[in-house]
Amino acid sequence: MSKQFLTALFAFLFLAPLSAQASLRVAAAADLEPLFPPILVQFEKNTGIHAEATYQSSATLTTQIENGAPFDVFLSADLSFPKRLINDGLADAAGSADSSTPITYARGTLVLWSRKDSQLPSPSLDLLRSLALKRLAIANPDRAPYGRAAVAALHSLNLYDALKPRLITAENIAQAAQFVDSANADAGLISLTSALTSRLSADGSYFVIPRDLYPPIEQGAVIVSSTRQPAAAHKLLDFLLSPAVQAELAKSGLTPVK
Amino acid sequence: MSTMDWQAFALSLRLATVTTAILLVIAVPLAALIVLGRGRWLAAVEALAALPMVLPPTVLGFFLLVLLGPRTAFGRGIAALLGHPLAFSFDGLVVGSVIYSLPFAVQPLVAGFASVDTALVDAARLLGAGPVRLVSSILIPLARRSLLAAVVLSFLHTIGEFGVVLMLGGDIPGATRTLSIVLYDQVENFDYAAAGHTALLLLGLSALALVAVYATSQKRGSARRA
Repeated sequence: MSKQFLTALFAFLFLAPLSAQASLRVAAAADLEPLFPPILVQFEKNTGIHAEATYQSSATLTTQIENGAPFDVFLSADLSFPKRLINDGLADAAGSADSSTPITYARGTLVLWSRKDSQLPSPSLDLLRSLALKRLAIANPDRAPYGRAAVAALHSLNLYDALKPRLITAENIAQAAQFVDSANADAGLISLTSALTSRLSADGSYFVIPRDLYPPIEQGAVIVSSTRQPAAAHKLLDFLLSPAVQAELAKSGLTPVK
Repeated sequence: MSTMDWQAFALSLRLATVTTAILLVIAVPLAALIVLGRGRWLAAVEALAALPMVLPPTVLGFFLLVLLGPRTAFGRGIAALLGHPLAFSFDGLVVGSVIYSLPFAVQPLVAGFASVDTALVDAARLLGAGPVRLVSSILIPLARRSLLAAVVLSFLHTIGEFGVVLMLGGDIPGATRTLSIVLYDQVENFDYAAAGHTALLLLGLSALALVAVYATSQKRGSARRA
């Protein structure tokens, strides 16, 4: 092996990680994954700030931030996790009217989704009542906001007890969608953001669960207190709430708040 | 949630026992074939038996979910055979666990069988021993520790298995909610005290079982030597 090669290998192995720029680190709820990357690209174009997102369930991200994960901004899929961080003094919504309340940046929509080639009727409230529905996938109601909404909606419809033995609990909303898309579950209560992805919109169809059946899925953002880039973090939140981005969110399955 | 989910505990034990038993039936002949056989294709067999370690468990679980699901002919065939689909069932977890833990049964056995003196194997062959006799009278007795290692590793690996179960299981109490899923749920739900208790009990019981297994195997070994 030539000396140059070894030097290059050494540089690749040990120096490359150091050259990464200190970018804005965003902890983003998993339901944002289908739509968020282009928003970050646009953000960098507008402001020159490079931001990178990590997608996980809101609960996992909360645990990571509690244990010192170096995130600057946390975009949760609900309000309870960011509130928890605010109460622990680990995050705040500084700059907004009330710094102790997470900034709501969007609202989530729950849909009933099934494959087009399913033997069952297309998604509707009647499908939920059907005895032919053997397996209904939901996200874990203990922590996934959409799972919580799914259980609330089933309770409102007085269907929870009847469907309970037929519920398949997925770790998060994306996995609930995988259970249905792989045809292992007949239908699933998933997020509109998942249903609108090119993969799922090609494979199936959805029915929007009436909003009065479940408490709103408000998605809250906070700034992590340990951030070294508070100004950049604020810019990202302002950008999220700007009319252009809010319109973008609406196209991807989130309800704008502005 | 109670601090200790005994149903999940029993389910994990059952899954690990069934998986280990099936793995032994598969891995002993497979390891013997790899060690005793001749031909280049055996390298491919050995590589194939090690491959499940490469895939992230959740990804392996996802592939199995698709493969065993009603959208593939294979999945439909199995469902027709068993009368129910494999995903979200105990049987499905067994299939996933056997694939996932296969390397942990095959690797120690191959290493153990290969370390047996080839002169002994050749002598046995000359005396007319067939492959079954070779394995049962020469390889297994002389590679006892490796067999034990294979059993212990397969069992513990299945107890601790998480990604495949998470993907293929659907978290159904009594059928697919194993102890590692309960532990994960407790941690994710910020119930750290309960998670601590569960983990401590799991670690304690496993340590006791391991010490017991290793102690007996050592006694037998030293008795033979003396």
